[in-house]
Amino acid sequence: MVDIISESKGKDGRKIVLVSVENLIPFMKEMRTNGFDHLSLVTAVDKKDSIDVVYHLHSMERNEYVVVKVNTKNSVVPSVTGIWPSANWDEREQYDLVGVRFEGHPNMKRIFLPESWVGHPLRKDYDLSKVQYINMDEDGEDYVTFDAGDGW
Amino acid sequence: MNDQWIELNIGPQHPSMHGVLRLKAKLDGEIIRELEPVIGYLHRNAEKLCEMGFYCDNLIYFDRMDYVGAMNMEVGYLEAAEKILGVPPPDRAKWIRVIIAELSRIAAHLVWAGAYGLDLGMLTPFFYCFAEREKILTIFTEACGSRQETNYMSIGGVYQDFNDKIIQEIKDFLETFPKRLEEIYNLYVKNDVFLSRTKGIGVLSKEVAIAYGVTGPMLRASGVEYDVRRAEPYLFYDKVNFEIPISHKGDNLARFLVRFEEMRQSLRIIKQGLEKLPEGPYFNPKAKKSMMIRLRGDGEYYARTESSKGEFGVYIVADGGVKPYRVRVRSPTFKNLSILPVLSKDVMLADMIAISGSIDLVFGEIDR
Repeated sequence: MVDIISESKGKDGRKIVLVSVENLIPFMKEMRTNGFDHLSLVTAVDKKDSIDVVYHLHSMERNEYVVVKVNTKNSVVPSVTGIWPSANWDEREQYDLVGVRFEGHPNMKRIFLPESWVGHPLRKDYDLSKVQYINMDEDGEDYVTFDAGDGW
Repeated sequence: MNDQWIELNIGPQHPSMHGVLRLKAKLDGEIIRELEPVIGYLHRNAEKLCEMGFYCDNLIYFDRMDYVGAMNMEVGYLEAAEKILGVPPPDRAKWIRVIIAELSRIAAHLVWAGAYGLDLGMLTPFFYCFAEREKILTIFTEACGSRQETNYMSIGGVYQDFNDKIIQEIKDFLETFPKRLEEIYNLYVKNDVFLSRTKGIGVLSKEVAIAYGVTGPMLRASGVEYDVRRAEPYLFYDKVNFEIPISHKGDNLARFLVRFEEMRQSLRIIKQGLEKLPEGPYFNPKAKKSMMIRLRGDGEYYARTESSKGEFGVYIVADGGVKPYRVRVRSPTFKNLSILPVLSKDVMLADMIAISGSIDLVFGEIDR
């Protein structure tokens, strides 16, 4: 049994378990062997001074839902792709949009935005007034420019 | 990488890519050895836009996610938003939502069936499917004045009540559609080319499907009896009788058959909905127009609903303000598409087109 920090109940009636970053992988492995075979959703929530990463776990057989949360100050969390392959794209998306690095992920690249994009849009301190233009260099690699004249 | 292999770029502008899917394939002759989907060409970050609008404003971004079955997206968002704000819809509005969402599911499956026929080289069923879909869109036009991006529902109810004309139109549709559906069905299953391109192609096993988070008709075609309408009933889905079609084959044909059976079950639900539709108010007075932007929400809520593509989840984190703090969308096709590299390993290039078509891709939802 892996240590947890706290346990509570959400508005939707689902159990919320808060674990520490170090205990995340052993805890998730235990959940996987307990029959939670479907990782429904990975969400990162920017809380301004720290980031919450929320995992919605689901057991197909028992139709049971559990929400697992970790809180990270330096926005680095171990990847669970090795336990549930469905985390692969979800974690890439959260890295792209919120800027959480998932350590041990096989392909930690942006999924929606071009690789050279500056900043992570779902961060609360993201500057929306700066317009970024995407262009392509001669090798076919994209790059971002802040000048409308260079982009298209 | 073998030096005999050639790299091939497919899409994003290609008729059989259902929008803007781009695939980087490594081919050994005509057989795909590696495949990598590249997405994001339709990305507009609806989740960020939702953080900037009032709860009632955000509905329009959800219409534009799965634009072929928009009503199901609205149901999904409102399931979460209404619980956060504490304004439950009255019974009549809930039944109206059930009826409209099922009509929308049929419309979405008809688009899929027509487009899938085109993928496999059949032109005729496309016109049959779209002619029937047009009747559903006419009902939507009567209900809210818009065909596709309907914005029909609102927080605490629906925008406009059902009148006698709409109910008569739905009844007419229920009368004529079953016969047409069988006609369309026969156009596919009595076609040898269609059968030979779908039977035994793209077989997806139960365990792989669950591990990759595949849901909806794709999962049910692999033999898992999982439907959110039954597993965690929302609206009035616990008060109607319907069956969950499943198949154990897991191939393209199984997905086709499951979707067609789902349309027949949707017709049953609509019929029961019309019988049970009560009289009464169609919106919650707490959410009337002048009050809508003053509603405040607190806490966090994850609502899951069954859209035409699979489990559609909306996770809202609220901080007590008039706008949501964070909105996260679980789009079913995003997860279903991630199975494509697995399914199309060591298959012919032409079969890969048949497999990607059977996933039912809608890019408004994948890229969000």
